Amino acid sequence: MADTTTGRKPVSWRMLDAVDRLVAAAWPRGAHGMNGYLFILPAVALVFILIVGLGYMADYSLHELDLATYRLKDEYSLANYAAFFERPVYLRILGRSLLAAVIVTAVSIVLAFPYAYLMVRTQSAAIRKFLLIALFLPFFIGQVVRAYGWLIILGKEGFINSMATALGLPPLDLIYNYPAVIFGLVQYMLPFAVLLLTPALAAIGEEVELASESLGANWVRTFRHVLIPMATPGLVGASVVVFTLTLTDFAMPQILGGGTSDFIANAIYDSYFRISNLGLGSALSIILVVIGSALVALIFMIAGTGTLGISGRNK
Amino acid sequence: MSTQNRATGLSRRRFLATSALAAGSLAMPRIVRAQEPEKPGELIVRAWGGAWGDALKEGVTDPFTEMTGIPVRLDFTEDNEIKPKIWAAVDQGRVPPIHVNWDTTTNATISALRGVTVDLGDLKGLDKLLPIAKPVGLDGWPLVNTYSYVYVCAYRPEAFPDGAPKSWRVMLEERLKGRVALYNDGIGFNPIAVLAGGGTVKDIPDNMEPGYEFYRALKKNDPLLGEDPDFTTWFQNGEIDIACTISVNARAAKQNGIDVEWTVPEEGCKVDTDGLWIPKGLPENEEYWAKQLVQYAIGRDAQEKWCAALGLPPVYPGLEPPADLVGDPAYPTTPEDFKKLVRIPSPVLVENQPVWFARFKEIMQG
Repeated sequence: MADTTTGRKPVSWRMLDAVDRLVAAAWPRGAHGMNGYLFILPAVALVFILIVGLGYMADYSLHELDLATYRLKDEYSLANYAAFFERPVYLRILGRSLLAAVIVTAVSIVLAFPYAYLMVRTQSAAIRKFLLIALFLPFFIGQVVRAYGWLIILGKEGFINSMATALGLPPLDLIYNYPAVIFGLVQYMLPFAVLLLTPALAAIGEEVELASESLGANWVRTFRHVLIPMATPGLVGASVVVFTLTLTDFAMPQILGGGTSDFIANAIYDSYFRISNLGLGSALSIILVVIGSALVALIFMIAGTGTLGISGRNK
Repeated sequence: MSTQNRATGLSRRRFLATSALAAGSLAMPRIVRAQEPEKPGELIVRAWGGAWGDALKEGVTDPFTEMTGIPVRLDFTEDNEIKPKIWAAVDQGRVPPIHVNWDTTTNATISALRGVTVDLGDLKGLDKLLPIAKPVGLDGWPLVNTYSYVYVCAYRPEAFPDGAPKSWRVMLEERLKGRVALYNDGIGFNPIAVLAGGGTVKDIPDNMEPGYEFYRALKKNDPLLGEDPDFTTWFQNGEIDIACTISVNARAAKQNGIDVEWTVPEEGCKVDTDGLWIPKGLPENEEYWAKQLVQYAIGRDAQEKWCAALGLPPVYPGLEPPADLVGDPAYPTTPEDFKKLVRIPSPVLVENQPVWFARFKEIMQG
């Protein structure tokens, strides 16, 4: 409180006044119309740096490696892009990555939807807390640690096979193959899908479902004609995130794939680090960025950016 | 006028000479110290982890620290991953992230071709080392090889009750489906695949087709592809029965109680070398002491301890093998031993490895 005898303000007030005067001097009232731009400046700077990096990468991709000096040749050429189309392995790996992205997205959405629905609709605080903790706990464990965990559980002498052999069954080949990579990715992506679906489902009032049922729709019809359309923003958002994360994943194919189920990120790593071919690695990176961006753009074209609530129209 | 002091009898000339001598004596330690550059706070050596790093510490870096007082820190960044960091630092005129790179000779040769390595030709005792110490196809000493090693056929004895596999072709047996392991870039096995596929050494590198045929046949047996730590884990967990891996890894696994042995099959095994090199761009004093570290590493004491810990033949001549490796085909010491092994010159490896790698990947990713 102000000291009424001397009229001096408390120290904290005087400090805040000083800060106010500093801000007013640095950012005069006339510039307040630019406040919005100031707030998005860090994000723009980050994107700008990313674009500059992509620009450098695009430039490198147009130079072939000189095996005599292991430096990129000065001449521009499309040899690296030609290598991508001429060597079947790259198309095979890209196809594998895209297929995995589609499968993991579909499975993750199917599994995430009931989880998110239960978390939103349950009346029990204990169940909601349990579901939330189970959802966030995996984020404290990195992807690599989780992959190694699956090696222990699914390995030939792992938990599952120990149970199988104890029951007299032959050991199963559960890891170091493509299905193991898909499995690991679904387990990793599930929390992301749930997190993106939950706000969309929470925005659907329970009374909407009640209204549907009161008009004679059973649960299946309510689910199909009410829930799914209203949850579209969440479904689109979750699909985009899970699809792009899966397409660009490195760790799961590296650890669970046994070296024979590489994704495009593994091929990029090999180009940069194993054969020191900066040009080829850059070309593969650019191709991945282009394909990934094109697919996301396609999804938004079909579903519309309005589905994410960013149409720009004031509600 | 007399130059002699009447009271002391000391001539001016003698006085000046004595004073000069005294001043020189006082200045000598400082002059000597000035010839030795200032010691850095630490030296950073890139190294492989596990048994490899332990051996380097025991045989080279700890004794060096004791001798000079300079602490040495091991950087376990992968050899393939440190390469672009060093190259970028040198190209951009920055100080590289390490002082000494313990690297495969092939990788080191690539860096030498790129012009980022310091010449080590002024190190003492290079002429005393075995010829294998000198890099092939390069001018001077952009790196120095420090030992040779063999990519052996490591196997679980339980899976081979009749004794060690006689041929690499045993990898194609159906009973070993999913239980065969190779390095995930084909390293150490590409030339051997040619021999296992019915080709000869003369086919390497111009006709690798027998090797690719062998890989296609092996692919049907679902091999596992990984790195050094993967092999240890796989043997430990009983995931594999046979692998092409460096003898150091097999020996370390055995010393840790894992049931594994190794052999050199009839087709032979690839023998290669690792070496040390120093990146350009270090401050003068740090480069000096980095060279001193490399100097120590190629000396008798370090070679004896370091290579004994690794279980690998050193480049310093006349050293006895460890007791457990006497007569071991993976520890070649005589010309007869080397006849069973396949050595591909570094320039050939550097030129062809990207091609072999691409074909290996194409077959194994199918």
